[in-house]
Amino acid sequence: MKRVDLIVIGAGPSGLSAAIEAAKTGMSVLVFDENARPGGQLFKQIHKFFGSKEHKAKIRGFVIGQQLLKEAEDAGVQVSLESTVIGIYPEREVVVRKYVETPAADGTDPQEPSSRHEAVFHYKADAILVATGASENMVMFDGWTLPGVMGAGAAQTLMNLHGVRPGKRVLMLGSGNVGLVVSFQLLQAGCQVAALVDAAPKIGGYGVHAAKVARCGVPFYLSHTIKKVEGTNHVTGVTIAEVDSHFQFIPGTEKHFDVDTVCVAVGLSPMSQLLKMAGCEMDNSGKGGGQIPVVDAAGQTSVPGIFAAGDVAGIEEASSAMIEGRMAGIRIAEYLGYETKEAGEAEFSKEEASLEGLRQGMFAPQNRGMKIEKTEEGIPISTNLLKHGFVADDEIGRFPGVTHKAGIHPVMECTQNIPCNPCQDACAKHCIHIGLNITALPAVEEGSTCIGCGMCVASCSGQAIFLVNEHTKEGCAEVTLPYEFLPLPKAGDEGFGMSRSGKPVCRAKVVKVRTSKAFDHTALLTIEVPEDMAMKARFYRSRLECTGGDSVIAQSRIKGAEVSQNGATGDRPCESKAAAESEKREEGAAI
Amino acid sequence: MRTDRSKDLGPCLPMEGDDRIVCRCEEVTQGEIRQAVHDGMFTMTEIRRYLRCGMGLCQGQTCSRLVSGIVARELGIRPGELRPASSRAPMRPLEMSIWANECQAPDGAAETKKGGAGDEKC
Ligand SMILES: Cc1cc2nc3c(=O)[nH]c(=O)nc-3n(C[C@H](O)[C@H](O)[C@H](O)COP(=O)(O)OP(=O)(O)OC[C@H]3O[C@@H](n4cnc5c(N)ncnc54)[C@H](O)[C@@H]3O)c2cc1C
Ligand code: SF4
Ligand code: SF4
Repeated sequence: MKRVDLIVIGAGPSGLSAAIEAAKTGMSVLVFDENARPGGQLFKQIHKFFGSKEHKAKIRGFVIGQQLLKEAEDAGVQVSLESTVIGIYPEREVVVRKYVETPAADGTDPQEPSSRHEAVFHYKADAILVATGASENMVMFDGWTLPGVMGAGAAQTLMNLHGVRPGKRVLMLGSGNVGLVVSFQLLQAGCQVAALVDAAPKIGGYGVHAAKVARCGVPFYLSHTIKKVEGTNHVTGVTIAEVDSHFQFIPGTEKHFDVDTVCVAVGLSPMSQLLKMAGCEMDNSGKGGGQIPVVDAAGQTSVPGIFAAGDVAGIEEASSAMIEGRMAGIRIAEYLGYETKEAGEAEFSKEEASLEGLRQGMFAPQNRGMKIEKTEEGIPISTNLLKHGFVADDEIGRFPGVTHKAGIHPVMECTQNIPCNPCQDACAKHCIHIGLNITALPAVEEGSTCIGCGMCVASCSGQAIFLVNEHTKEGCAEVTLPYEFLPLPKAGDEGFGMSRSGKPVCRAKVVKVRTSKAFDHTALLTIEVPEDMAMKARFYRSRLECTGGDSVIAQSRIKGAEVSQNGATGDRPCESKAAAESEKREEGAAI
Repeated sequence: MRTDRSKDLGPCLPMEGDDRIVCRCEEVTQGEIRQAVHDGMFTMTEIRRYLRCGMGLCQGQTCSRLVSGIVARELGIRPGELRPASSRAPMRPLEMSIWANECQAPDGAAETKKGGAGDEKC
């Protein structure tokens, strides 16, 4: 039986981070993962992460995954893939199902170089870390077993790992961060998102994620849930209906959508069965998202030598999973005598502080289920954001990131206290202030001068920063916005400026498209709009997207677009005449 | 946690969604699960043995939460109060031919990246 110092089960962010810390102290570490690629959930996360520098903020999830793999390799961690752990037995014996490669007998037959078959192997370790992550929850409704109904994570795997579009037109159930992020990625992959639905009365995920989806024109239906999915062999449609405060359907509120895919993002359950099998004391109260092991701050379970970290010990996120992994790795090295108590404690408390930093703000675990009416700064929160996914025109002005000024200046439409601060670090001109408390709202620094470099726009994980020049020439303004769709518009293209709710509000002309390595795949689009639209236009759609093809916008917003097209006269989008028209149009679009 | 067997659940009245499949691997419906509770199956282990739900290909990964929700509702308790079914190897479905093929990983053998096994002997 092969023996190592530490066996890690699961090569996700927590497992890899723990393995790296342990291997750095000289321990022999073996990581098993059942997938063909390591990285766990990280390799599906194509968006930029929140947090601050120490949490790898503004870096895309899959890049963090690549960094972890490189670090693991450098530290001498062995990663065994396509290796499923099927049981943990007494005395820390781990049983693994994996492949055996049989080399070709003598290499004479080039057609059959080698063969593989699967077998069961036994390993033993002085410590085991279970970092198996979580699985997606499901809800039942008529038709939930039809092909086309899938977990949002499954849709993400199809798109981002396999390059397969899950469907053409999708309805998303669940407005937590997973539902919001995957909805945006579906749009990026070229799918239409017909609606985002949640039975809760308010959006569960970050407002900045919701706003990204809303300005693409996706309608939000809160206090609604799926009544029935239609189809015989696969999904052909879905009916949703409103629910009352007891989650009972309200008759007569049904709405139907023609879709071929329904994604479900209603939470995750820890995959903690291995820990239970190993005899660890479990907590079934449901506070960690399901059955979780009882652990101390370092992830030590009730069974000496068996540790747990990441989603399996309570659903959180990749950023916290990495820290938890590192903390477990440090403590395991101490436990097996590879690290002195003093050195270990110093590192441990640093990580603990970093984890504490992430668990702050409106979405912190201790605030779950609480009714928050004001920000930490005492500003009333945007209620429209929680209901419809975007901050209303009459709410946006009260947040410290939104100011008026002559010349180009940043506008941070970031209105909730979330642990995030890359915008502050991005600006070399110190225009953006968050301070030491990373959950504070970004504010415009008084007396600072913006040079329009765009670094803040590109580094905002929530795509919530815009550069605005409220007056460039007679009747004209310019708005620079983050853009992550292909094909990229070109300078000179004409289309429409879209409101925060995804409705066309004015004609817009693309004056500049900037891409740069420093922007990390976020393009910066500068559009020229009528002056009075400077604080309203927050997205751009080409004319074709608005009127032709089968794009989302064409389907759902065609009416508004027609108004805009017919209403606009003259060539220039920002002529004062057009500006006056646009005001009228906006009234029309708002109905 | 002791299971209170004296509880009177009353008759098992038909409910909306009773013909809906809950455990898709073993094709067990909501109605069957509810009936099983009324037949006296008050724990997840009993339900599993009685109906086989959660014993199919996915080993309850998809349905165990749904099943415990139904059982708890029928018993008038919170799902957290139900003791989850025991966890046993194999954690993932495994063909008997592989289960029976036990190998020795020699001490000190280096793991290769793709699919593991380097010089394991079988
Ligand atoms: C759609 C979506 C979007 C998200 N977006 C963000 C985000 O923006 N920011 C953020 O911080 N977090 C985000 N998260 C959360 C984040 O991905 C997870 O919290 C994080 O990946 C948890 O890490 P982990 O190491 O605990 O588990 P995982 O990443 O799930 O890794 C566990 C690994 O263990 C393997 N495994 C499980 N059982 C076995 C077994 N028996 N044998 C062998 N291998 C096994 C699994 O296959 C997997 O590879 C998102 C999650 C989802 C689903
Ligand atoms: S555009 Fe450049 S100078 Fe202006 S606020 Fe953003 S980072 Fe600072
Ligand atoms: S504005 Fe700043 S704090 Fe808000 S999401 Fe963007 S980067 Fe984070």
